[in-house]
Amino acid sequence: CSSLAGIMLLEVLLVLGTLLIYFLFSKKKEETLPFKDGWWGRGQKPVTKEDSSIRPFKVETTEEELSDLFRRLDQARFTEPLENSCFHYGINSMHLRKIVSYWKNQFNWKKQVEVLNKYPQFKTKIQGLDIHFVHVKPPRLPEGRAAKPLLMVHGWPGSFYEFYKIIPLLTDPASHGLGDEHIFEVICPSIPGYGFSEAPHKKDFNSVSAASVFYELMLRLEFNEFYTQGGDWGSLICTNLAQIAPNHVKGLHLNMVSVSKLGLTHLLSVLLGRYFPGLFGLQDEDVRRMFPFWKKGLSRILSESGYAHIQATKPDTVGCSLNDSPVGLAAYILEKFSSWTDMEFQSLEDGGLERKFSLDDLLTNIMIYWVSGCIVSSMRFYKENLQKGIGTQKHEKLTVQVPTGIASFPNEILHIPQAWAKKKYPNIASFHFMPRGGHFAAFEEPELLAKDILQFVDKVEKEQLWKKK
Amino acid sequence: ESILSRIRAFEYSQKNAVLVPVAALGVGGVLLCWLRSGHKMKTIDMGDGWWGSGERPLKGKEDTSIRPFKIETSDKEIEDLHQRLDRFRFTPHVEGAAFHYGFNSTYLQKVVAYWRNQFDWRKQVEMLNKYPHFHTTIEGIDIHFIHVKPSYVPHGRAVRPLLMVHGWPGSFYEFYKIIPLLTEPAKHGLNEGDVVFEVICPSIPGYGFSEAPHQREFDSIATARIFHKLMNRLGFKEYYIQGGDWGSRITTNMAQMLPQSVKGLHLNLVFIARQSLGRLICIMLGAYVPWLVGFSREDARRFYPFMQKNVYDVLRESGYMHIQATKPDTAGCGLNDSPVGLAAYILEKFSTWTDKSFLYHDDGGLESKYSLDELLTNVMIYWVTSTIVSSMRYYKENFSKDPDLSAHNRVGVYVPTGIAAFPQEIVHVPRAWTKDVYKNIITYTYMPRGGHFAAFEEPKLLAQDIIQFVQKVEQL
Repeated sequence: CSSLAGIMLLEVLLVLGTLLIYFLFSKKKEETLPFKDGWWGRGQKPVTKEDSSIRPFKVETTEEELSDLFRRLDQARFTEPLENSCFHYGINSMHLRKIVSYWKNQFNWKKQVEVLNKYPQFKTKIQGLDIHFVHVKPPRLPEGRAAKPLLMVHGWPGSFYEFYKIIPLLTDPASHGLGDEHIFEVICPSIPGYGFSEAPHKKDFNSVSAASVFYELMLRLEFNEFYTQGGDWGSLICTNLAQIAPNHVKGLHLNMVSVSKLGLTHLLSVLLGRYFPGLFGLQDEDVRRMFPFWKKGLSRILSESGYAHIQATKPDTVGCSLNDSPVGLAAYILEKFSSWTDMEFQSLEDGGLERKFSLDDLLTNIMIYWVSGCIVSSMRFYKENLQKGIGTQKHEKLTVQVPTGIASFPNEILHIPQAWAKKKYPNIASFHFMPRGGHFAAFEEPELLAKDILQFVDKVEKEQLWKKK
Repeated sequence: ESILSRIRAFEYSQKNAVLVPVAALGVGGVLLCWLRSGHKMKTIDMGDGWWGSGERPLKGKEDTSIRPFKIETSDKEIEDLHQRLDRFRFTPHVEGAAFHYGFNSTYLQKVVAYWRNQFDWRKQVEMLNKYPHFHTTIEGIDIHFIHVKPSYVPHGRAVRPLLMVHGWPGSFYEFYKIIPLLTEPAKHGLNEGDVVFEVICPSIPGYGFSEAPHQREFDSIATARIFHKLMNRLGFKEYYIQGGDWGSRITTNMAQMLPQSVKGLHLNLVFIARQSLGRLICIMLGAYVPWLVGFSREDARRFYPFMQKNVYDVLRESGYMHIQATKPDTAGCGLNDSPVGLAAYILEKFSTWTDKSFLYHDDGGLESKYSLDELLTNVMIYWVTSTIVSSMRYYKENFSKDPDLSAHNRVGVYVPTGIAAFPQEIVHVPRAWTKDVYKNIITYTYMPRGGHFAAFEEPKLLAQDIIQFVQKVEQL
């Protein structure tokens, strides 16, 4: 078999080459992304009109579910780690044993289900799929004020649960010392194939499909204008939503930016940006976070993207065991909560997991994947989005005209400077370097993220930016 | 004018004094290099290692006994397996998925039903025990191997030792069908000429019944050294070696490490990693004028279209390699706990790497080439030994030290080499490129059919190629 690195380098060069030619010969397009209609249910689309009712939903659990889980935890087969390997080979099974012990003996799923049910949840059928979402309205609204609708979309391996700590800061900011100028009603859906949203039965359900489904959801909830927020897949889905319906999205806030259209300027920035930052629009903090580029960029991409590579090619294979072994599932997911919160955590024996999250929170997120059996369908999303290659899809070539706010967290997997983000998001209203935090921003640093969202919305509202696009 | 003339005068007189010694040194140096390089063949340093737990004991010699071993199973083991099979949680695949998303879950249910109700592990264990198994401790870990001698050797016939090394996700069991063809070729209708083998198939440490290394950095060099020590301990001074997948890498390293012990190296997979501008040009030209860049017609047929076969196909199939080379403990965790998950992961490779068109089949074409009993026996070896995680770590240990597996390409392989190129191998390496590393190719055969698991799928074809290679080497 030829070497992977050599092949990848060849592919990168070829892609860069074609993109360079495209970049040189294409003109800037400001068209909108077409809404993607579809039918994702089983079999043929029925002739009768779809049931568009919104039904209340509560997470439930049974004794049987719990005893099955405990039996599997009891019979888990672990493999001894290599001496002195910490988290360098992936999750350390010595530490995993401790987590499993907590899971069996102290974690209280019934109590966590009650926690999950504290916010009102609903289901509604869209394009043939049952879409689950949380909808939280403000507990109190001053006289004559309206709540601003805010759609928040999670990613992988997260869920709607990631937003549980930030929701009160946005629906009731006054009680948390954040002022009461902007009060939100928050909608957190589950991406189809994740958590309690039904998984698509057909191929090709990608981010544009998800954005279209969520657009229909917001319309069904009778929101004509709303804000959107997202990280990980949520960032891409909200971006697509802003491209599909720019007249409905007042503002787009992201805690992760990805650029798929790389060109000569990016290459030059990487090679020379450390020495001539000003020339490439890079700020000091950008340089601090991006360089040395081999260590913080390329090497990190290679060492951290194995999961994405296998999920984008063989999701049904890799997900199979994870839906059958809760310990395997926990290992796979927790490893991300370790390295994507802080890459340095790999050198710790416990992966630094409990430094930023409680075991209850981490296990609740994992339980959502376990009880819904959605790990395989969650992985398929990678294939549906990435199988044709990065940078080849239509939506990746379009820009986003909607006012955008970016919160750039220091321990995010890859740092994208504002200079690069501007090419995709020409209407950046705010770009802030956050002082701390990693990939799971809403989960880890809810207050920091809430503050940034608030200041962004404030800017958009005060300067009436949404009218200017 | 006087200055110029003085310079000219200086130049002329000094010319001989300066130029001649310089020329002499230059020529002499070149001669010296040429003489030395001709005689001295580069080898890989053997080195040494310790892979047991804790510190290497300072005193006491290692136990070098060779202990007979029999695979065993128990009611408890089988019942535990059955319980896990019974409570497998199935996910429906998308409509029209076939094997494009990975192992098809509808077909997986059929496999699980067979595994639960018809597969007889006790019977398979008996079958596995039909060849003699042994354990011996080398560098702190227990090495498992089978050693099969011909039951009958005609008078005066020499029996040649042959070490055969498996890969991932295979095992020593892959060789069970080819062993009789090599130990008793006449009985199986193969024209053996003078050639009869005794076959040794070890398990790579961390695979099957070989103990997994407890220390980091156990790579193919360490494996090569251990296998040399094994052959030495069995009393062999010179032997033939054969391998595919990791086995190809390990046997190549063995040939580079101790060429004087390797009579011949036979491979059914070649790793060539040299990427350069020159290569790029060869690739582009070769599509139109293969003969110009040294490609045979069959090379061209198997190698092109380049992007499809060498880039897209490789990217599509190498996800497992990427995650195993970076996070093996994570990737393997669930597989060691869910036998169905383990089977899906392993059998997906037996499907796609046997024939790429099997991706389009709802059942992955598995049973068109193998029996479920064979496939599941291989999976069971990983299951009962709990070696899936340690088997995956091998990727990280090899790739992190040597990201494109080219570190020892400079050393070259000078032992007589035979290459069997199977048409459905994951990537085809043109014959002209194999000379990069293998300097002494005695035979190169374009096999008519077969994929990655050559010994498992086409034992007769492979046996014939090994025999004709060894015959040629013996005549040298």
